[in-house]
Amino acid sequence: MNNFALLLNALASSGVSFVIIGGVAATVHGSARLTSDLDIVYERSRENLARVVAALSPLEPYLRGAPAGLPFKFDVETLRRGLNFTLTTIAGPLDLLGELSGVGDYRAVDEVSEDVSLFGSVYRCINLDALIVSKRAAGRTKDFEAVAELEIIRDEARGISEDSES
Amino acid sequence: MNTNQLPSQATIDPVIEAYKAGIDVTLIRENLRRTPEERLLALEQLQSFAQELRRGGREMRNRRR
Repeated sequence: MNNFALLLNALASSGVSFVIIGGVAATVHGSARLTSDLDIVYERSRENLARVVAALSPLEPYLRGAPAGLPFKFDVETLRRGLNFTLTTIAGPLDLLGELSGVGDYRAVDEVSEDVSLFGSVYRCINLDALIVSKRAAGRTKDFEAVAELEIIRDEARGISEDSES
Repeated sequence: MNTNQLPSQATIDPVIEAYKAGIDVTLIRENLRRTPEERLLALEQLQSFAQELRRGGREMRNRRR
């Protein structure tokens, strides 16, 4: 069971620099598709890696799909040696990405993001156009339907804002 | 933004256009009337529902055996 508020608040309260991407970002923009994990792009400075560790350690992160009992240590050194991590936590699945296909690293993703207010805090969420670019760049078959929906959302949202302006 | 990695849009576009025909726009319009937070809470409810459906399905299959 996912608890997006718990995951997001844990990251925010530790001051983690990150941007919401993927299916949850699609939901924020109006997608009706079911997604099961929270995907974020995180900043890779040593200071921010320490904040990620502080934020997520209480949520018992572990490598998703890995056999139980592996000697997985969720610390700065582990994050520094890797880039993308697919994790389980007690608040639901969480994907930490160092880079996003078609867009780039945290700095590039942050440039194409906007503020969204959720559960009493303000978060950075990738904007709709960049989300579409990233889904197209991923080029996975499962993303094609997502891209189709996101492009319809973009058209619908434009229609709504044009209606409200007239 | 790095667009060098983009696959051929000419290849993808007809597939995406075909998918658009099957998308229920009424669900999108309903979502666009909600706040982003309401959309996330609706997603969590949908996840709970899907989880319960999977549990029920497993139970049903086990009874058949």
